[in-house]
Amino acid sequence: MSTRVTIAQVRIDQSPAVLKAYGLGSCVAVALYDPEARIGGLGHLLLPNRPEKNVLGSESKYVDAGILEIVDELVQAGANQERLVAKVAGGANMFETTYQTLIKSIGARNARSARSTLASLGIPIVGEEVGGNRGRTVEFDLATGNMMVYCARDDDQVSI
Amino acid sequence: MPFREMNSVQLDTLKEVSNIGMGHAATALSQMIGQRVNLTVPNVTIIEISQVPEHLGGAEKMMVGITLQILGDARGSIMLLFPQESAHRLLCSLLGHQEKALIMTEVSVSALKEVGNILASAYLSALGNLLNKTLIPSVPLLAYDMAGAVVDHVLIDLSQSGDFAMMVETDFAGEPDQDLAIKGHFFLLPDPATLNIFLSDAGGSI
Repeated sequence: MSTRVTIAQVRIDQSPAVLKAYGLGSCVAVALYDPEARIGGLGHLLLPNRPEKNVLGSESKYVDAGILEIVDELVQAGANQERLVAKVAGGANMFETTYQTLIKSIGARNARSARSTLASLGIPIVGEEVGGNRGRTVEFDLATGNMMVYCARDDDQVSI
Repeated sequence: MPFREMNSVQLDTLKEVSNIGMGHAATALSQMIGQRVNLTVPNVTIIEISQVPEHLGGAEKMMVGITLQILGDARGSIMLLFPQESAHRLLCSLLGHQEKALIMTEVSVSALKEVGNILASAYLSALGNLLNKTLIPSVPLLAYDMAGAVVDHVLIDLSQSGDFAMMVETDFAGEPDQDLAIKGHFFLLPDPATLNIFLSDAGGSI
């Protein structure tokens, strides 16, 4: 059974479900997993940081708020926060870097925000496939905690 | 103005303005490739940002995306998407390519960007004349990858001001023969603040 996680969405589920996020460019996919309870969550996150005020629309589009949301939901579902491990994919810069002002390297900022948010929660990152200029699709298998990362353009796949 | 509060008159105004702009762009494309180019009536859709990749035919479909920012009196982005077969056919007619499939070389990237530039400039200059505004396209940027990955950075700007995107969408196609047609999608994604400028100057009330 596989569930799709669209942009600005977070989902949690338990083994043997598979959570998928398609076509990540500068977005990041953050996967959190409790290997003992075998439950985990995946977020398809768009913007690095939640502004302090005037949040317009859903909060789960922000990397920092999205991660907190997954952690909360997992703990409520019976996960132990101290056992959680994280995997991060995406955060690419799809367009040339020549024109920094037009792109604002949002991908790198998303990845940085994911690392710092996870560090502040004491959750170790056990796998990363971030940066570069290629799009990615991820499949997060809750039976094993494996994350497959596919890159359609290079016809490449890695397991993290 | 939040996108969801637009009424049908305002949506029609945008459609009509866009139709005129796209007409100019299609003429430019037609002259470039030496083929007739047909346009669909523009569609104005307001959808959740998370649904945009699906709307483009699926997040994993390989596409060539050319994006330009609108600078000057209004802000927003233009995104041109060519499915990979269409990008290939476009290069065949522009550069006389003989390859069987799309191969991205420096020359093909540059040619596709130039197509994007010409289409966007034709569109923006028509729009600007109509609205009496100065609209300038930025340099074009290109990515060849999954549709979801290509469009997500355009959505990032939009998502700062809400969960909805407004897309003015036109499909254009060359040859009537379906197997040979060059098809593309043209999207105008105005910033919410810019929408007011477009609408008031197009004579639609706000």
